[in-house]
Amino acid sequence: MRPSNTVMNMFRSQWKAESLRLLRSPFFLLFSLAMPIGFYFLFVSLNGVDLEMSGTTWGVYFLMSMTAFSLIGTAVSQFGIRLSYERKDGWMRLLRLTPLPVEVYIGSKVLSTLAVNLVVIGILFPLAAVIYGLQLTAAQWLLCAAWLWIGSLPFLALGALLGTVKNADATIGIGNVLLMGMAIVGGLWMPLEQLPGWMQAVGQWLPSHQYAQGAWKVLAGGLPGIEEIVVLLGYGIVFMLASGYLYRRQDAV
Amino acid sequence: MNVRHADQNEIISIRQLSKTYGEKSALEPFTAVWRKGEVTALLGPNGAGKTTFVSMLLGLLKPTTGEVSVFGMKPGTKPFKERVGALLQEAKPADGLKVREVLELFRSFYPAPMPLKRLLAIAGLEEEASRMATTLSGGQRRRLAFALSMAGDPDFIVLDEPTVAMDVASRDRFWDTMKALAAQGKTVLLTTHHLEEADAVADRIVVLAEGRVIAEGTPDELKSSASHQSILFEAPEGTDDSRWLSIPGVERVERQGSRVRLYSLNTDQVLLDLVNTGIQLRNIEVRHATLEEAFRKLTAASEAQDQGGKRHAAV
Repeated sequence: MRPSNTVMNMFRSQWKAESLRLLRSPFFLLFSLAMPIGFYFLFVSLNGVDLEMSGTTWGVYFLMSMTAFSLIGTAVSQFGIRLSYERKDGWMRLLRLTPLPVEVYIGSKVLSTLAVNLVVIGILFPLAAVIYGLQLTAAQWLLCAAWLWIGSLPFLALGALLGTVKNADATIGIGNVLLMGMAIVGGLWMPLEQLPGWMQAVGQWLPSHQYAQGAWKVLAGGLPGIEEIVVLLGYGIVFMLASGYLYRRQDAV
Repeated sequence: MNVRHADQNEIISIRQLSKTYGEKSALEPFTAVWRKGEVTALLGPNGAGKTTFVSMLLGLLKPTTGEVSVFGMKPGTKPFKERVGALLQEAKPADGLKVREVLELFRSFYPAPMPLKRLLAIAGLEEEASRMATTLSGGQRRRLAFALSMAGDPDFIVLDEPTVAMDVASRDRFWDTMKALAAQGKTVLLTTHHLEEADAVADRIVVLAEGRVIAEGTPDELKSSASHQSILFEAPEGTDDSRWLSIPGVERVERQGSRVRLYSLNTDQVLLDLVNTGIQLRNIEVRHATLEEAFRKLTAASEAQDQGGKRHAAV
């Protein structure tokens, strides 16, 4: 028996189980699919699909906002809150007694979330495109999808950080405040330009804004710039280091 | 090289294992050697240090002193985890997975897992295989947790309060499973505060109170070492305790109204002597110690000793 086979086997099973858990979660269906889709159609029908917006139109602009909102929500609520509860309920301790390496556990969780995120993009984009007849080039669709997909990683790191909160019930509150705060102040609900000045000053440096901004730039015929990449990467690294440090500290007994 | 290593069956060795939190001692140095196929019960009231011990044994908690070796491996290492199965208190199954899926997931972690069918049979969950794990009743969850601990077909099984929340039928079935596994050469350690449980399944019992081992041995050894047998009867008015104490072998007399209780190591002889006194005795009963009495006596002795020690220190 080759040990590499065993690790691959563990990874595959863990990945499959985590994906199933995510897709079966009523919270995921509500917050990551139903809510973004509902709000997308509500706000587009209110403002009109062709409303001019930052060099593009509201129909596609807001689609990127709501997709970003959905993926941030999955990272923060599903990934973060779930981690916290898995610890509270003793599930993590149970796994620590098995030969499953912690890297495989976290890695498969991240990859299953990424896979589910791809499914979400694959539902939201075609749905909006078909219903409103959105006009984007194939390259724009692909670039936006790729950017939002890869760009969800820093938010998973934020979810991991949230997972270090000892009180699992508090993580629900913190998670929701974080999600809604980042969405509103980051300009995902309404464009940043329409917010009060002080909110704009804060909002433009939030990871949520930089995240959506990358996709909006593609819609306007450009590409995500250095600014978005650096800011998101920076946040991602900080969240990762902080959560890594906290997990290690909490594990030391 | 330690000579004891020559015995291939002594697979678990615990040397001077202890845990202190600051000034407070949770477990005083504990040394033991357990053999293949042996079922050991760690018996003690809540807060006696059982969970502390189990956590250190499994590598979840760092000992203050001492070490554990299981099949020559250290707790927490991957080869250790591949051969040791553990059932802890209070582990909720992950949401969103069916019983079968959780079991398959755990099976995938091990190089030589136990067949799914067998796991379902052990847990008595064949009917529930397609149910969501979170919808199981408390007792069923406990059985699922037990099946999860067996997923890797472990050689050493550690069970912390395994039968909590199980009904009588589940408990009996669980004990039978335990005995069958031990007969196959698997070594089992279980903690419990139910004497009945320790008595029913264990080859050896370690009695723990306030972090200290106060007795150790087979159930029979504990019963005979910790308590005497006694004879109960009703005596006529006017009989004096000194009359009973004069009978050879009587060590202690207790009295409640006309009801007299004589404690002795040899109740058969005392009974004959009693009859020979010619005193009119009624309702004679001979009582054998139960493990429960032994246990109470042992823990009470430990507490008394503790208080004696404290008084001593105060002087």
